[in-house]
This record gives sequence, structure tokens and C-alpha cells, in this order.
Amino acid sequence: MPHLNATLKAKLGDNAPFIALIALYLLIEIAQPSFLAPSTQLGSTFVVLLGSIDLSLQAVASLSSVIVAMLLPRYGAMAAVIALAASFGVGLLSGVIQTVLRIPSFIATLAVGGIASAAALTLSGTRSIGISDETRNASLGWTTGSSFGVPHEILLGVAVFAFCLFLHRSTVFGRHVDAIGAGEPAAIASGLRVSGTKCLVFATSSFFAGLAGVVMAGRLGSGSPTLADQFLLPAIAAVIVGGTALTGGSGGIGRTLVGALLVSVARVGMTFVGISVFAQQIVFGVILIVAVTVAFDRSKVLIIK
Amino acid sequence: MLTLKNVTKRFPGVLALDDVTIEIRPNEIVGLIGENGAGKSTLMKLLTGAYRQDTGEIMLNGQPMVIRNPRDATSKGIAMVYQEQSILPNLTVAENLFLGREEDFVTFGRLNWTKLKHAAKKELATVRLDVDPLTLCEDLSFGQRQMVELARALSLASRTGGTPIILLDEPTSVLEAAEIEILFRLVGELKSRASFVFVSHRLDELLSLSDRVYVMKDGKVVAEMPAAKASVAKLHELMVGRSMHGEYYRENLQKPCRKEVALSVNHASLGHALNDVSFEVYNGEVFGVAGVVGSGREELCRVIAGLEKLDAGEVTVGTARLKPQANHAVALGIGYVPRERKVEGLVTQMSVAQNLTLPRLGAVSRAGVVRKASERLIATEWIDRLHIKTPGPDASCRNLSGGNQQKVVLAKWRFAGSRILVLDHPTRGLDVGAKEEVYQLIRELSAEGVAVVLTGDTLEEILGLSHRVMVMRDGRAQAILPCAVGHKPSQVEIVEHMV
Repeated sequence: MPHLNATLKAKLGDNAPFIALIALYLLIEIAQPSFLAPSTQLGSTFVVLLGSIDLSLQAVASLSSVIVAMLLPRYGAMAAVIALAASFGVGLLSGVIQTVLRIPSFIATLAVGGIASAAALTLSGTRSIGISDETRNASLGWTTGSSFGVPHEILLGVAVFAFCLFLHRSTVFGRHVDAIGAGEPAAIASGLRVSGTKCLVFATSSFFAGLAGVVMAGRLGSGSPTLADQFLLPAIAAVIVGGTALTGGSGGIGRTLVGALLVSVARVGMTFVGISVFAQQIVFGVILIVAVTVAFDRSKVLIIK
Repeated sequence: MLTLKNVTKRFPGVLALDDVTIEIRPNEIVGLIGENGAGKSTLMKLLTGAYRQDTGEIMLNGQPMVIRNPRDATSKGIAMVYQEQSILPNLTVAENLFLGREEDFVTFGRLNWTKLKHAAKKELATVRLDVDPLTLCEDLSFGQRQMVELARALSLASRTGGTPIILLDEPTSVLEAAEIEILFRLVGELKSRASFVFVSHRLDELLSLSDRVYVMKDGKVVAEMPAAKASVAKLHELMVGRSMHGEYYRENLQKPCRKEVALSVNHASLGHALNDVSFEVYNGEVFGVAGVVGSGREELCRVIAGLEKLDAGEVTVGTARLKPQANHAVALGIGYVPRERKVEGLVTQMSVAQNLTLPRLGAVSRAGVVRKASERLIATEWIDRLHIKTPGPDASCRNLSGGNQQKVVLAKWRFAGSRILVLDHPTRGLDVGAKEEVYQLIRELSAEGVAVVLTGDTLEEILGLSHRVMVMRDGRAQAILPCAVGHKPSQVEIVEHMV
């Protein structure tokens, strides 16, 4: 079938840079796994699809790491479940604040992020909380091991990606998120439960940030209230670089994956050449501005607030 | 003297102004009347530079001119007092009066408030408004704000030295009776130094104030006469006077309906918009709602769609009382076809299929997972049934024509199984052919027993389609008239209740 071969070749050609990127990423991940970024980015894609923003991601991830580290000795594996439930709850709170009090997501998540961050600092007494190897291996072993030679972090990342992709592409929830993001008035008039969907979106985004916190705690062997402080900027940059519009309604999980890969490769590359984590924020800040500028012709927008 | 000569303005699908010739003489009050969509607003927008005419000329004292934008219009002596007030409530009266002209009051980079205040006092005196120029505009009544706006328009347009021309677009719609009287007296006085163009739905007001009136219909000027020679009844006739086309509205398909109540509205009140409105709509009935802009019919539609909360009264479907939530309205079987099709009717960047299933996605999903194959199948079925012209179910709604977009909105509610449809200007912006298709669909809905609440741009349309027509004025139901085929009330009869 020469015809089929031709299309296949064309497709491969189109996606060659993408495939190269994945390969590069996998190599880096296997050498130095870091699950945190992709998980939070994929979850927060739903928030950006709504046309909203979640500024509490890093605080939730840190809080979740603190909770899991503190409860692990007493509750074992249940500690992770509690941390995830708490993260989900924090997201739900952001959603409720927005929809019931009608406060923009920017403010609601900024405030809730501050609260979560302070809660993490208070709970931990501003110190990082160590997890003994023994407890970790007993209850959080799944975060560090590897199966079939693939680190669990990568497997988890793939699972989160597949789940989010399914959620967005195939479910009623995903369709409603698209509809609200692209045309909220029409979604309301069509009888969608807009407030409920929004709350769920923020809870989902927060849940994945919490998952990132749990996995990080497992891998580093400690929970810390400042664990994820440097992750907000790359997370948002990944979503936007991937091409999900900040104005909502267009984009998706697949695109965020590309953005996440790019940002991860950039980060690891910078670490490799010896740029400090803090200085890297400069680059992510610049990437974010460039991505937003390129993605959308801002000159047609009359009013910027 | 300002002259519009053979001016034509076309929008996609609509001829908004068709060879219009109008002149405004110095120190004259010209009245402009016509139904919604007759072209009055377009005409005003040409004069303020918001639109440019396709053909024809605008001439000032015989010299052709181009009006580039509202600022340019004022520099040529034309200023408008807007219906939706353009005063900024968070600024003082003085600041509003001289907005954009502050440089006259600046000394060494600092705004000279004393100077500004004195100048404002002088401008306010021309409209006999006695307020402190340093009052914030939000503390003024609507009537006072309108005076500020009038003062601003006058002062802007007077800078040219010629006789300024002030456009008043529905100036009385937000005013109380006493305020209207003050405004009219003032305009009468100011005639000595300016010309006015006065647009209003209220014919009695218009006749009492104007020197000369132009009647517009379907983008054309159909009559011009001195106000002294016109009567309200005559203007009614000119405004609406055209023969009814029974066939156009598929009147042969209008069947009497049984008196089974589908929807009832009881003592509905909402701010100034609705005042104790009660009526029932039957299964299979097309219930028309007539009234001018601001009569409350728009709000009524939104209340039934669950998008507005009543202050008092209720809407019931069967035994259920409607909550002010759109999702509850949809659950009760109410579908809303909004006037703003691209904003509230469709999510334009989603596909035809996705829009079609939106209100009832559950019907094509299992355990929260959308079954895309069955969704496409259903969409294809509705595309065929309603003859929707689209490349396919996956095509984005953005690229469809207005008529086909409207069919998607109608298909969406039929798929959702709505038993009550609220049609708010369902044919707005559609061309004649598309309108006819929508009329046909309305008849089909009616034949299937769906109750329809309809409001539209023209009376002719409402009368042609409805079984009964309710006429609204200032938030009240003035009358409910039967509209059986062959016994339809005349448009003049309806207009009498409207204004």
C-alpha cells in the first residue's frame, strides 16, 4: 500500500520534532526523574481551558508534601490518601469562592494559595519534615521504584496524561469545560451546571498538584512547606507554551504535554549547564511572555487589565 | 444646514438604509420615527461617524463631507445624546463635561479646578441644571445626568461657530414624566441656538416637540411632513402600513390549539421592567409578545428562560415553579433561542454536533463518557431534518451562515425535547429565505404541540405567526388579543396599545 505509506511518512515527518522531543525527554527523565512539573501542568490545563487561572498550585503541592510527611508514621499509606483529599478540598474551596462569592479565579486562588502556603508553614513549623527510608519503603514505595526498568514516576506521568486526555476528550465533564471556556453565556443558556463544573475543575487541578507533592515527598524523603515554590511559573508556562489559550476554550491536554516537555527539557538543560533553580525563573518568565505574545495578536485587544 | 442625499448602507443580509434623503435645517427640531429595524439607529450612527455610508453623500451647507468618528462629528458641529448614557458615573459633573478637553484647564501640568468649575457652571446654566459641578455623576438622577450629557453635546458641537446639531436618541426612555417635561421645555428653548434630531417611539411626544417629522420603514423614508399636519393615527399607519402576507408566515399551517396550559406566568414583577404580568401559554400555541424596546418583553423572555430573577410573582410549568436558574428551566423543558445567537445561542468555536447535544449530553453518553459515534449519528439526522447547510457534523458553527446557525439552535432544543420554546427575535439578521425557513420550523414546532413564546423585530412577523398576541407597555401587559387566521388584528390596533 504505497498510498498509506506516503501518508504515514508525511505524518511522521510532521511529528518528527515532537517525537524527537519525547525521546529527549524520556532520556532526561530516566537519568533524572522529576514528576512534579508534568502532573501539575496537565491538571491545570482544565483551569486554563475555562479561561481561568490557578495560582495556588505550588502552595497545594507543598502543603500536600507536608501532610504526607507528617502523617506517614501514624497512618501509613492512608497518609497519601489524606493529602490528596486535602488537596482536592483546597481546590474545591477555590471553586466555591469563585462561584458563590463571584470572585475572579485570579484573586480566589491567590488568596487560597496564601492560606495553603501558611497552613503548610504552620503545620511543619517552617521546617522540612524527614521521612525515614523504612516508612517510605513501606508506604510510599510506589513513588520511587521502577517496573520493567521504567521508573514509576514516568509510569505515573503517563497514567496522569492518559487520564487527563480521556477526561478532556471523552467525557461529559471535558465537553462542558470546553463549552464554558469558549462560550460561557451559551453554556449557561443551554442549562449546563456551570458553577458545579468550575468547582470540579479547580478541585481536579488541585488534586494533581497534591499528587505531585506526594510523589516529590516520597522521592526526596521529606515534605517541605517550600518544596514546590519554584513551580508555578513553569507550570503556567507549559500550558501556554503548549498553546492552550489563556482566554479559554481552545487547547488541550496533548498540547500541554508538548509544552510540559519543552519546559522540562529547558529546565534540565539549564540545570545541566549550571544555572541555579532561582535564576531559571528568569527564563521561564521570559518564555511565558514570549509564548503569550506569539500565540495571540495582542494589538487587536483594546483594553488590557 | 445638514443634508443626507441618497444615502444607502448595507449590512450582510440587510439593507439598513435604502436611498435615504433627509435635511436638517438650522434651528429646527426634526422628529424621526419608525419601527425597530427601520434604519433610525443606522442613520444616527452615520451622522456621528460610527458607520460610513456605502453610497450617497452627507453635506454640510452644500459641501460634501466625511465624518470619520464621533470626535470628528463634534468638530463639524454634530453631537449625540446617547440612549445608553455615556456619562462616567465615577467622575464629577465638571470632569464629564470637559472629558477629552482638559488641556484648556491645565496650568503647568496641573488641572486648574477653579477654572474648570467656573466653565462647568456656565455650561450647566445653558441646560438650567443647578448642581455643584464637583458633584459625582453617580449622585445625580437619570434626568440630571441626561442634562449633563446634553450640556456636553451642546458645548462640543458649538465650538464650530455654526448652528450645532444635537441628536437625541430615545431621550425619554429612562426618564420620569416630570423629567420629560423639563427636557422638552429645555429643547424648545434651545432651538434658538441649535437644531435637534429627535428619535422616539412615543409618537405623541414626538409630535408635540417636533417641527417636522420623517417616517422611516425598512430602511426607506416613506413620508416627510410638518408636525402640525400629522396625527398620531396617521403616523401609526405610515410606520407599519403594509399588506399582510399570509402565505409568507405559513398561516395555512396555523391550527387552533386546545387550551392545555403549558406555561403560566403569574403576577411577574421585576424592577421597572415588569409590572404584575400574568398570562398562560397553551400547548401548540404561538404566543406573541409585542412592545417597543424597553416595554419589558426582553426581560420577560429572560425570566422564562431562567436567566433573570423575579422580584415578585412566579413562572410555573405544570405543577413545578421555575427557579431563576437556566438549568432548571432546561430541566422543565424550556428552551431559549436568544437574540444574541453567537453569544448565548451557540458556542461558535465548537462543532455543529457538539452544540446540538450540549443541553442534553447525557442522552448520548454512558457513565459520563460521550459516545461520539452516536452523537455524530444524531447530529447527522438533525442536519438532514432541518436542512442545515454545513460541511458536516464536525464543522465549526462559526463558519455557518446566520440562518443555519439559527437552525442549529432550534435543532438543539428539539433534540433536548423542549416542550416550551422562548424565541427572542428568532429572525434577526437573517435574509428573507432564511426567515421563511425559520417560520416553517416554528409552524412545525407548533404542530408537534410545543408551546412557543415569540417576540420579534416587526409587528407583522409577530402577528403573522401568533395564535394570540400580548401587547406590553412600560412593563405592563396592556392587552392580550386573539390572532386567529383571517381575524388577525391590524398592526395599527396593536400599536395603539404599544405607545
